[in-house]
Amino acid sequence: MKNPLPPPSPERTPGRNSPIFKNQKWGKGQNFEQNNTTPPLKIRSLDFWGRLGGGLRFGLYFVLAAPLLLFILYAFSNRWFFPQPFPVEWTSAALVRTLSDTRVLAGLLDSLGIAAIVSLLSLALGFPAARVLGLRQFRGRQIAWLVLFLPTVVPPLAIGMGLNILFLQTGLAGTFLGVVLAHLIPTLPYVIFTLAGAYARYDENFEFQSLVLGASPVRTFLTVTLRLIAPSLVVAALFAFLISWSQYLLTLLIGSGRIITLPILLFSAASGGNPVTIAVLSLIFLAPPVLVIAITARHLRGGEIREQY
Amino acid sequence: MTQVNLVSLTKRYPNQPAPVLKDFSLSVENGEMVALLGPSGSGKSTLLKLITGIERPDAGDVQFDGVSILNMPSNKRGAVFMFQKSYLFPFLSVAENIGFGLKVQGASAETIRTEVTHMLELIGLPGMEKRKPAQLSGGEQQRVALARALVTRPKLLLLDEPLSSLDTEVRLNLQEAIRSIQRELGITTILVTHDLGEAMAMSYRMALLLNGEIVALDKPENLFHRPRSLAAAKFMGVSTFLTGDQAWGRQEAGVESCKKLYAIRPEHIRIQKEACKNSMPGVVSDCIFRGEYVEYQVAVSEMTVRAQMPMPAPMFPHGEQVHVRFPAEHLFEVENRV
Repeated sequence: MKNPLPPPSPERTPGRNSPIFKNQKWGKGQNFEQNNTTPPLKIRSLDFWGRLGGGLRFGLYFVLAAPLLLFILYAFSNRWFFPQPFPVEWTSAALVRTLSDTRVLAGLLDSLGIAAIVSLLSLALGFPAARVLGLRQFRGRQIAWLVLFLPTVVPPLAIGMGLNILFLQTGLAGTFLGVVLAHLIPTLPYVIFTLAGAYARYDENFEFQSLVLGASPVRTFLTVTLRLIAPSLVVAALFAFLISWSQYLLTLLIGSGRIITLPILLFSAASGGNPVTIAVLSLIFLAPPVLVIAITARHLRGGEIREQY
Repeated sequence: MTQVNLVSLTKRYPNQPAPVLKDFSLSVENGEMVALLGPSGSGKSTLLKLITGIERPDAGDVQFDGVSILNMPSNKRGAVFMFQKSYLFPFLSVAENIGFGLKVQGASAETIRTEVTHMLELIGLPGMEKRKPAQLSGGEQQRVALARALVTRPKLLLLDEPLSSLDTEVRLNLQEAIRSIQRELGITTILVTHDLGEAMAMSYRMALLLNGEIVALDKPENLFHRPRSLAAAKFMGVSTFLTGDQAWGRQEAGVESCKKLYAIRPEHIRIQKEACKNSMPGVVSDCIFRGEYVEYQVAVSEMTVRAQMPMPAPMFPHGEQVHVRFPAEHLFEVENRV
């Protein structure tokens, strides 16, 4: 070997004090020095926007909560006249009276039953559709999306009228089943949208792993697929429940006055004009959705979904 | 513990002009590890899907010990795989993940517990039963995935780029672990990778896969030192090719025909200051210090010769006049097939 290792060239290996290192946060020591000389970060304008944002947020809370507070005041007031800011006497008599009304109880049960069955049916029908739309690319996928989303753009009155004619001919009008089927029209798009979103970021390899390890397709579906998609299933079921729960027009048209759900009772009470009855019914109407959301709040934030992937 | 035969497998996806796999045949001996080496899109992963039954081939057959398994569902085949991502079930603990295969096969809780403990020791993570996958590092997750795949004593283990998402140090560490566990358990294994070093370090035989076809299949050392075709040579890191009518090294190599193509590995090319018999003059365009060796790029007539010389080796500045020598004993003929 005639030409041994050449000495390291000065340009390639600058010393610690060479100008290249000045003003750079490389070594630990330099970093420390810099921290001592830099003033603490504080930007005034950011403080202003932060405060404004906080104020707006509380304003929004108030706007959302005010009608609810008013309902609570009305529902439990005995005598409340103009100049007084709050009711003079408090009572739960109106609540007890309304709750013991058989029509209200029947309406509550009908509403709950319809909403629960609609949620389950929309999940059962929406799940396969969402899986295919979320996981596969196929010809006519865009058209399938469009058709599935049509109910969200077409006015419910138009759907209801057409459906009513059809249901009258088939004998479904005025039946529990008829109302359930009618409710599926507005709930399905939301269920499919939610689940297709979950499937778009789903990885089928989890299922393949389960299969090759010896689990049957059914077992894989039950223990892996459903478990992975569960948070979105909860959210989708919640959507379906809430949409069915607050459905007035379709119930009225298809139920033909024979299926009386809470919204129908609430509307007739509202035209009656007794504020206490309206307030009590509204509170009863509000309770189940609030309860359901409280139970599922954890899933709504999507925390668990993110943790899993 | 199975001899695997892949017979003339062909697979073409709809909407794609060319088939992913063309008439693919390979046989893997009992307890052997064969590496399938190829760039992405060469059909490696598709092949694994055909073997596990997730996809069906258009033509051809998959045989375990001479018996066709094409009509057997995935969960009965006994071919497990491990991917680049661990795909541990996030809602199960480490122990439940490893025990998954045994549980679905109906093993008793006692058996599962002892097997899981044994596997955790084998992969070097004892006492980790209660952890959740999210609490493990990437390397640990891959170890658990390996344990989960091996706990059922599968007929065939399929590794699909199992280490490519890991840091170099963890990767080398796991290469050794997988290699020794595979040899200890004697499980027939197919490793799919695009990393030449990984394929060479782990496999008994190595198949080079390009555009859905095997272009070379041999022991790693043979394939590395004497690739037979131009494509194989290029994949093995050879970048210097000489036609017979180029004068360099001709007499020494005993080159007969001008039509033939000769190749030489970069580490066999010599770069030196002084001219000698059969050396070619060139100009250094770059000289990179790589630690164990020095890499040179030298312009010789119209082509750039890439050479490596082990340390200690001279460092030449850019533009230095040097002489390049292609030792005759290292020149080998390659087939110039497109």
